Amino acid sequence: MEFKIRAYRFNPDTDEKPYYKEYTVEDYPGMTVLNALIKVKSELDGTLSFRRSCRSAICGSCAMKINGISKLACKTQVSPEIEKFGIINVEPLANMPVIRDLIVEQESFFDKIKEIKPYLLGQREDEGHDNFHALKEGEKISQPVYYKYEFQNLTGNNDTPNCILCECCYSECGGVVGNPRYLGPAALAKLYRYCEDPRDNDKNGSRLVNGSKPDGMWDCVHCQSCEEFCPKGISPVKSIVKLHERTIKNSITFSAGSKHVVSIAKSIGETGRLDEIKVAFDSGGISGLINDLPMAFGAGLKGKIPPLRLKLIKDMDDIRLAYKELDLEEK
Amino acid sequence: MITYAYYPGCVAQESGKELDNATKFIADKLGINLIPMPEASCCGGGVIDGFDKNLKLFINGRTLALAEKDGLDIMTICNTCTLTLSEVNEELINNPESLEKTNEYLAKIGLKYSGKVKVKHILYAVRDDIGLDKLKEKAVKSLKGINIAPFYGCHILRPSSAVKFDDVENPQGFEELIKALGGEPVSYGRRTKCCGFQTILVNEATSTSLAGNAIFEAQEKNADVMVTPCPLCHLSLDTYQTVAAKSINKKLSLPILHLPQLIGIALGGDYAEMGFSRHNVSLRGIMAKVRQNEI
Repeated sequence: MEFKIRAYRFNPDTDEKPYYKEYTVEDYPGMTVLNALIKVKSELDGTLSFRRSCRSAICGSCAMKINGISKLACKTQVSPEIEKFGIINVEPLANMPVIRDLIVEQESFFDKIKEIKPYLLGQREDEGHDNFHALKEGEKISQPVYYKYEFQNLTGNNDTPNCILCECCYSECGGVVGNPRYLGPAALAKLYRYCEDPRDNDKNGSRLVNGSKPDGMWDCVHCQSCEEFCPKGISPVKSIVKLHERTIKNSITFSAGSKHVVSIAKSIGETGRLDEIKVAFDSGGISGLINDLPMAFGAGLKGKIPPLRLKLIKDMDDIRLAYKELDLEEK
Repeated sequence: MITYAYYPGCVAQESGKELDNATKFIADKLGINLIPMPEASCCGGGVIDGFDKNLKLFINGRTLALAEKDGLDIMTICNTCTLTLSEVNEELINNPESLEKTNEYLAKIGLKYSGKVKVKHILYAVRDDIGLDKLKEKAVKSLKGINIAPFYGCHILRPSSAVKFDDVENPQGFEELIKALGGEPVSYGRRTKCCGFQTILVNEATSTSLAGNAIFEAQEKNADVMVTPCPLCHLSLDTYQTVAAKSINKKLSLPILHLPQLIGIALGGDYAEMGFSRHNVSLRGIMAKVRQNEI
């Protein structure tokens, strides 16, 4: 069966703006999108540029947008895509500048990975370990090495170590779309992975403090795209939520995001409901309220104001008991 | 008549009362019996597990157990409530340890959960349980000639391990419903993207730029109106629309409907019954078009 590939094309040296080019390819059973692209490049148009390497969903090189969603071309079969969309539409990953055709510039992504210090803190921090470096001749890793299953048993974390840094989550992330400085799901999932590593010697909780700064863990918009579209079945958003929980349990609550979550929990503990006014005040403080005043005034004129005092839900004692059972009354 | 335990969520009972009223209006017209849940608590706004994971299980396990006690499924009208209740439901059904822990708490308040409740958002309750043919039959006004941009948002689709109503890559439930009412669904890329609400009080610039760009794209595709199945998205898209316009430095003026209001006007609801005076962006233009479309 013949099908069409519609590829995003852009060469900044020669093209004024991006355009799309269509190719007709003959399908065969089990053909992947990467197989199809290699066929186009070798038989129809040698100028089409894309990254690829392992063809086994291990290296993460061939991540691209396929029919609007970030996927690994080597892991995506042609036939179900054609069945659903009638065409294979390929575009470069989002949230990163395009170098050429389907190839994006990855520096911003890897800068963010480096920012969370993706290595064990401790003895080696004094040795200027801020950069990745290959081991020198004779140099040994000083921390104990765990097998993957040991790490999983110790931490319960059986997904984040499987990350292949393919950038699918980063490309789909709503938080990065809204704020290009946001660390993004892959870096934050890695931050969580190091936070819970029993070998990590983060004495003063600097990982959680740094991760709580603007553009960090509290800028997650909870859009769930990173979990949905990770080709390795990892859920960065669940790691981010665990970071939130760990941060609040360690009383690192200087950020607006942590205040927001604590305020919601407090409001439910007091009334069983989410008190919109109180949560807005607790999260943004006076400056936040002043900032939102024109909007709030406009909404107020339309009668769209929440009640100043909330009625308790029926059987509120049930909720109080939940807080008591979990020892959360004082938080 | 279909009966559900009705879980409106907090916003529809506070600043977004027009959504609760429109839902009751269409339930009455479509023969849906909504049993109130005065004991149900807030689901935790999609962030409560960032405070304590077990608290999310306990308070939502309690809501599920209340519905199970009455032998009812739950109908929701908010994406985030839908996801939170669905996630907890999945966890309690698939993880015996979590179920046991939650049931220990529930036993102390005279409840028990065994995993029988289904959580349904009103969009899919209308499509699957009522049926689009019946909806068509009950409609007294057509939405013919109106370009309607469906804005799914996130939590009604993702993660598909917890919410399983539609095809997460190419959902069609909303479009099918719009077509059934005679409207013209607008196709645009951001229909399944994030409205940014979860960070609106934390990082307003991030949040409003997401909402603003979605509205702008729909406007560019000639949408007359945008419709959302979630009151949190509605706050971002309508209440904050002026802020969103400034944030992306574009002119925005797109009326935003709650899904039950869209169904409501097709079922004969008027401006006051649908609570349109509470919206930031005026709905008068849309209502004038609908008025001419008697079936």
